[in-house]
Amino acid sequence: MIFETFRIAINGLRTNKLRTFLSMLGIIIGVGAVIAIVSIGSSAREEVTVQISSLGSDLLWVTPGFSAGRATRMESDPRENFTLNIIQYIDDYSPGVTNVVPEVSGSVQLRRGDNTLNSTAVGTSQDFTTVNIYYPERGRFIDQDDLDQSRNSVVLGSNVASELFSDGDPIGQRIRLNYQGRNINFTVVGVMEPKGQGIMGNLDRRVYIPVTTFTDKLSRQNFVDLYYAQFSPGFSSQEARNQIDYFFFQHLGDENLYNIMSQDQILGVLDQVTGTLSLMLGGIAGISLLVGGIGIMNIMLVSVTERTKEIGIRKALGAKKRNILGQFLLESLALSSIGGFIGIGLGYLGTYLVTRIGNWPLVLSPIAVILAFGFSLAIGLFFGIYPAVKAARLDPVDSLSYE
Amino acid sequence: MIEVKDLRKVFKNGEIEVEALKGVSYTINDGEFVAIMGPSGSGKSTMMHLLGCLDQATSGKYFLAGTDVGKLDDNQLAIIRNEQVGFVFQQFNLLARTSISKNVEVPMIYKGVSRKERKRRAEEMLAQVGLAHRMDHNPNEISGGQKQRVAIARALVNNPDLILADEPTGNLDTKTGDEIMGLFQELNDQGHTIVIVTHEPPIAKQAKRIINLRDGLISSDEVIA
Repeated sequence: MIFETFRIAINGLRTNKLRTFLSMLGIIIGVGAVIAIVSIGSSAREEVTVQISSLGSDLLWVTPGFSAGRATRMESDPRENFTLNIIQYIDDYSPGVTNVVPEVSGSVQLRRGDNTLNSTAVGTSQDFTTVNIYYPERGRFIDQDDLDQSRNSVVLGSNVASELFSDGDPIGQRIRLNYQGRNINFTVVGVMEPKGQGIMGNLDRRVYIPVTTFTDKLSRQNFVDLYYAQFSPGFSSQEARNQIDYFFFQHLGDENLYNIMSQDQILGVLDQVTGTLSLMLGGIAGISLLVGGIGIMNIMLVSVTERTKEIGIRKALGAKKRNILGQFLLESLALSSIGGFIGIGLGYLGTYLVTRIGNWPLVLSPIAVILAFGFSLAIGLFFGIYPAVKAARLDPVDSLSYE
Repeated sequence: MIEVKDLRKVFKNGEIEVEALKGVSYTINDGEFVAIMGPSGSGKSTMMHLLGCLDQATSGKYFLAGTDVGKLDDNQLAIIRNEQVGFVFQQFNLLARTSISKNVEVPMIYKGVSRKERKRRAEEMLAQVGLAHRMDHNPNEISGGQKQRVAIARALVNNPDLILADEPTGNLDTKTGDEIMGLFQELNDQGHTIVIVTHEPPIAKQAKRIINLRDGLISSDEVIA
């Protein structure tokens, strides 16, 4: 019986294809928009997550803190507490982390013969490679001797190497670094592998020198910009974070003087931002679904009026109220579900195109698909009820004589 | 058997009350062929709606095959219309864009007959009215006479106790009308109870009994054959 009612409903829709399609359009656009927005959001998030993860996994960043109340007249710059010798203490007192890496950077001009190139010099330690999963392609990275003796060794990013040394092997060659007007000669000891654009900028356009050389000869200040560390196997990010937090609090006595950030936190913030954005856009798309539903109700009401005679005939032939109700309800459900299906296809296509253009991973959110489809069904049901009830309640005598 | 006792029907149109039937009583036995006649406004359309269980009387009793129709709710009325009454209308009232055989199947769909059986029975009925070769055509592809034959096949398909025809020849030319009346004669000979509502005396004369209505009352009730 339900199957028969369904067939009657489908036939009703087939008799007026253009109108059927037009009334489905609202649902198609609504469902398509919901799926495209949520999926494109997920794909973009996935892309950024991959980029953040590619910085190296399981990382904690410690940066100097700047509290609002003390920003201008502070007895001391919080950065000054970020000295190099803290690293050993962090290592000793925080078993939850390993490979503590200091980083300090500044703009430099590189010069080799007549070639000059603007770049960023990064002062760091030998553990930099392990933590960032970023290794030299030729030569070597900074080693302990470089650090101990503040040697003028430099490791070039791949782009820097190819631009300054287009004619040959840079290893063992000398280049001149200009930092705030001072010229210092460096010996190239290695060239990094290409890494490309990250969220921290293009790594291939930077050069790496021993952190001690940076503090002794370039900045001439004994503090660095930040530390980062990997947490040890067997420790959670929270445990590692707590240990570092405890150490810094003991050491500095003021929690406003430092900031600890974990990858989880960065991803969490990202999640929040993309989540809010998706929700907002999804809401707008939801409104278009609602408008689509009203379109369906409109068409169904027209359809009921148009087919008053048919309803009368069916009633005379023995259709009960529930048969007529079912026929029109199934019609609006069919409208919204077929619209929903087309919308899913369209949303998927849109997502596919955008992710292809952005070269992002394609993440089709199954929840969005289920939600959007379920919502369109619910709309078909909700907005179909009134016209269907109206049809079912028609008086047989009146509807038979309707012209 | 149809038993009508003191049937009244009052229509309210705002303040104005119109009494379409003012107390009508008669009995129609199984196998009869009756014409209900009367000019427009005599109450014959109202009579047909009541007999066909499309509407309920204001007062009085109507028994159809022993059932007190006045006590039935909408659902039960639908079942009666489906199983015990077969309608034939002046305007044929076939479903457009639906094949002839599908049209004949409609009453069986609402009765819950299986698909296979529906198809078989629709073919059988269409063959009986001489349209077996037109089964897959749509109503707009056949003539008026043929449409009315389809309507008759549809009326017969659930084997009802009563065939109720409302001006069945009103939209047909005389020759075709006669053919349709011949078909009703045939059905009556097979034992079907037939009630025809008409205002045309030549049509009424082909029945075996004529009930004349005038101003909501029976003015005459005579057996003519």
